[in-house]
Amino acid sequence: MECFKYGMHHYQGTQESINGFAKAVEYDPTHAESWRELSIPFLKRGMPHLWKKYIDKAVELDPIAWQGYRGYNYLWFYRDYRNAIADFNATDTLTPNFTDAPQGHSVDFWRGIAYLGLKDYENSIAFFDTHIQKEIKESGEDWVEHEAFLYRGIAHYEAGNHEKALKSLNTLLKYNTDFADAKYYKALILFKECESLQLKISFEEQTRSDNLLARLMKKEKAEKQKEALKIIEEAIENFNSGYSDQRPYVETIRQLYLEDYTNLKAKLESMH
Amino acid sequence: MQTIKTKFFFLIAVILAICVASCAKQPKEENFIPSENAFTTDSHYIDPETALLSDGFEVCNEDFILQYYNPERSTYSEGKNGLRNFILSNYTNNNYTDSGYLNIRFVINCKGEAGRYVIHENDLDLAPKTFTKDLKDQLFELTTQLKKWNPNIIIGKNDSVSAYYDTYMYISYRIENGNITEILP
Repeated sequence: MECFKYGMHHYQGTQESINGFAKAVEYDPTHAESWRELSIPFLKRGMPHLWKKYIDKAVELDPIAWQGYRGYNYLWFYRDYRNAIADFNATDTLTPNFTDAPQGHSVDFWRGIAYLGLKDYENSIAFFDTHIQKEIKESGEDWVEHEAFLYRGIAHYEAGNHEKALKSLNTLLKYNTDFADAKYYKALILFKECESLQLKISFEEQTRSDNLLARLMKKEKAEKQKEALKIIEEAIENFNSGYSDQRPYVETIRQLYLEDYTNLKAKLESMH
Repeated sequence: MQTIKTKFFFLIAVILAICVASCAKQPKEENFIPSENAFTTDSHYIDPETALLSDGFEVCNEDFILQYYNPERSTYSEGKNGLRNFILSNYTNNNYTDSGYLNIRFVINCKGEAGRYVIHENDLDLAPKTFTKDLKDQLFELTTQLKKWNPNIIIGKNDSVSAYYDTYMYISYRIENGNITEILP
C-alpha cells in the first residue's frame, strides 16, 4: 500500500509514479487498482499496447470494478464500439439486477452512445430509452443527463425520424435552454425540411403556373427558415458562452465546432 | 534526586529511540523502484536522440513539457475539423488491407512548432504490429505537414495567458482495411 500511495502522490505518468505502481504489483500482483493506475498514463498519451497490457490485468483480477471502466475507455479513446459493448454487456452478467455506472453514467447510457457510434440506431435508441425511463422512475425527468436526450435525438435524426428527434431535443431544451448542440440539431432538422419543401415547390411550379399548394408550401418554408435562423443564432451565442457538448482528453461523439454552426447559418441565409 | 536523574535519562533514551525508529521508517526512493523492468523515464518521454525529425527542433524548456490536455487544451491551428479535412483529403488508400491504430506522438514547442516524432503501430486489438510501409510513410508525411499548433498555456491572473509551454501531443489514426475511420483525440 505504501508503494501505491507513493505512486498516487506523484504526478500521473512520471517515472516516480509509474515505478511506485510497478513496485506495488511486484509486492502484490493481485492489487488490481495498481494495475489500473499503471495503465492510465499510457491511455492518455497514446500508447495503446501499454494501456492494454496493464488494464487487462486489472480487469482479470477485479472485473466487477474495472470491466465497465475498460469499456468506457474502448468507447472514447479508441472508438472501438464492439469491444466497448462487450465490456458493458459483461457487467450485466457480473452484477445481475444491478445497473453498473462506470465513470458516473449507467452502462445503458454508454451502450446507447456505442451503438450510435456503430450507426445501429435501433439499439442506440432502445438503450437510451431504457436509461431515461429508469432515471425518470428513480429521480424524475429533470434529473436525466441532458446528453441522453441529445444523443437519442441525434440517433432519431440520423435514422430519419425528425419528429421523434425534435421531441427528444425539446425535452432537453425544457431543462437546459442554453444547450448549443440541441439547438444546432433543431435548426438542422428545420433546414432539411426546408430543402424537401423546396423540392416539392419546384415540382409543383413546373407542373402548374398559379399553384395554391406551391404558395402554401412557400409560406411554410419561409416560416421554418426564419425559425431555424433564429435557433442557430441562439446556438452560436450559447456555443460562444461555452454551453456545448465536449469531453476531456478526446473529442466527443458528433462533436460540433464553431464552423459547424456558422456553416449551417450560412446555408440557411443563402437558401432562397 | 537519583530517581529523577534516572527517569530523565530514560525519557531521553525513549525519545531518541522513537526518533531513530521513525527515521528508519522514512520511505527511501529506492524502495519504490521495482527490482525488475523498472521504468527509466517518464511514461511520455520522447528521446530526442532516437526520435524522428528531431534535428534542429528545439524545445523551450526540456524539464517542463506539459500534456496536451492539461491545464488547457493544445490544438491544431486550423482546429480539429481543419486537421481532419487536411488528412482525409490528402490521404489515399493505395489498395491497403491494413487495420489497426497508427499512433504518432510528438512534441509541440512553445512557439507552436512540431517535432521529435515517434510512431506506435498496433492492430485493432491493440497488439503491436507493422503497417504496410507505404501507408505508414504516407500518414507520417501528412502528419508532419501539420505545421502550426497552439501549444498549451497556463492562465494567469485576470484570465490572461501567462505563457506558452512545450507540450506532448499525439494523433491516433484508426484504420480499417486501409481507410481512416477515426482521428483521435
